[in-house]
Amino acid sequence: MSPPAMINRYRWYELVGIYAGIFVFLTFILSPFVEGFLVSLKPLGLLFSSPYRFWPENGSFDAYRSMWVSVPGFARYIFNSFLISTIVTAVVLVLVVPSAYAFARFKFRGSGALLAAFLAVNMFSGAVLLIPLFRLMRSFGVLNTYFAMIVPGVAFLIPSGIWLLRTYMMRIPRELDEAAFVDGASHFYTLRRVILPIAMPGITVVAITTFIGSYAQQFIFALTFNSKTEYMPLPIGLYAYFGRQEVIWNELMAASFVGIAPAVILIFLMQRYLVAGLTAGAVKQ
Amino acid sequence: MGQLNLNKVQKFYGTYEVLKSIELDVKNGEFVVFVGPSGCGKSTLLRMIAGLDEATAGDIVIDGKRVNDLPPVKRGIAMVFQSYALYPHMTVFENIAFPLRVEKMPEEKLKTKVEHAARILHLDQRLQQKPGMLSGGQRQRVAIGRAIVREPKIFLFDEPLSNLDAALRADMRIELAKLHRQLKATMIYVTHDQVEAMTMADRIVVLNAGEIAQTGAPLELYHKPANIFVAGFIGHPKMNFLPVTCTSASEAGVEIDHRGQTALIPVSPRSGIVGRTLTLGVRPEHIQTGSGDLTLTVNPSVIERLGAHTVAYAALGGEGENYCAMLPGTAAIRADEQVKTGIRAADCHLFDEKGIALERRVEMTDIDLALFDPAA
Repeated sequence: MSPPAMINRYRWYELVGIYAGIFVFLTFILSPFVEGFLVSLKPLGLLFSSPYRFWPENGSFDAYRSMWVSVPGFARYIFNSFLISTIVTAVVLVLVVPSAYAFARFKFRGSGALLAAFLAVNMFSGAVLLIPLFRLMRSFGVLNTYFAMIVPGVAFLIPSGIWLLRTYMMRIPRELDEAAFVDGASHFYTLRRVILPIAMPGITVVAITTFIGSYAQQFIFALTFNSKTEYMPLPIGLYAYFGRQEVIWNELMAASFVGIAPAVILIFLMQRYLVAGLTAGAVKQ
Repeated sequence: MGQLNLNKVQKFYGTYEVLKSIELDVKNGEFVVFVGPSGCGKSTLLRMIAGLDEATAGDIVIDGKRVNDLPPVKRGIAMVFQSYALYPHMTVFENIAFPLRVEKMPEEKLKTKVEHAARILHLDQRLQQKPGMLSGGQRQRVAIGRAIVREPKIFLFDEPLSNLDAALRADMRIELAKLHRQLKATMIYVTHDQVEAMTMADRIVVLNAGEIAQTGAPLELYHKPANIFVAGFIGHPKMNFLPVTCTSASEAGVEIDHRGQTALIPVSPRSGIVGRTLTLGVRPEHIQTGSGDLTLTVNPSVIERLGAHTVAYAALGGEGENYCAMLPGTAAIRADEQVKTGIRAADCHLFDEKGIALERRVEMTDIDLALFDPAA
């Protein structure tokens, strides 16, 4: 291994400081997850033993088996979450890509005001608008459908998507558009053949943030607009582990980890498209 | 055919007039270079011909057809951008093929055309590479290839070489000149580099502050600049300007006085110039050591020895104007040591108070045989 560049060389006490800082930070961030995972390994009876032991004594993966039995619909909840987030992401991308291109490239009256309005929408949390949204959904008769969870999700995720992608597209040299225009390409042809491929890393970032955002916000929409068990997404589904007498903590934790797993895997796969330097060689910088 | 006529073309940005009533005729097959300082409107003019910017007034006519309202592709032009503007995710082949793909040309024909263009530009070995793997010169050739495949009537180049280093620029200049001879197409080329303008152009259009300062063959601009701007812009180092007084004018020329020295400059006189202050222009390369029709003793403050030449800079008397002389490489001069420099009257240019040249008595056919028309 070659020695690090001069700017990255540190004295031993600086290195100790850096790693200590990283350790404290990671402990802070990760300890709930570690504790959650340890809880999922413990038998339920040992959970409330005193003195409390962090390390599971006779830990096992039993909870990961029994969770499917105590809540039979759990696979369906994961599927619902996944379905809702995927559709939300797809719809957001279809809407955001052309509008981000328009905001990045065309000058039109009111574009600044529109962008500011999008930002303002983002400042309202979905919770503030729950009651008007509920009334709207009821008058359209779409309560208790997937639709009721997808549409508000899309609406609240579009603004941040547009802002993210617009900034990315503004960095693509305008001369590429002009060159394509001189060669006779239409705006849509240019968008499809030139801008989209170059903007792929930006689009991936938007897709990932939208997917995660949609996963996270399902809870509030599902709780309000849906009461049908078969449409429940994962965050609501987890409530099934809250029994009348007791909460099955170990299975709840196991279910949380299993529920997140598909999303994590998907995001890892999408990261492949986050290659840097895709515009290398387009123009002289 | 690739004939271009600009008829009173104007461009306003808001109320600011960028281009003032440009009139220009470009013949088929001509290599015309627009040159001028930055901000003179040369790129705007090119973009208007391309159809990227709109003309505020006037007609842009290509092959007898007014094209003001046509998109670039219908005008029969192709453009090469300063920054190359290659598509980074496509191979060289796909980059060159792009305009043909837009036209939905059949695959077989497309392949032949792209390979033909690649052969002309020596890119045949690079067709499967991405632009990111190419050098600056190769990237620029890909950009030119994309222009060639469309077989346009007129090629437009917007400072295509300004991103290359000096050595590569010299090579590409020669390649572009060859390409022009090979394709026999009309080419319009924008640059701020007068060397590019002088070496490649059939005709140079010098633009200054939105107006055409002069149009002419490279040597015509050098030997017979129409005004002070062109005189100062063409040639390096810049022409020296000295304030002189006109003492008399006759058919033989105009007699001037510079601090007590008089000289007869062979230029066409103009009425009412006697007694006026004129500007005498002399190129640094036309100054010799020793005496001449006009002799100036100067004290050079900086001397640059370039091998082939020695360039001496001095402040002239109280005028503060820099005086520059380009002497032979072995000239025996030193900084801060007085030296006598001489100017031949025949080498001098003379400009009136408005900066308009009095025409020099030089036959262009004596200067450049290429301008000699045996039929005349």
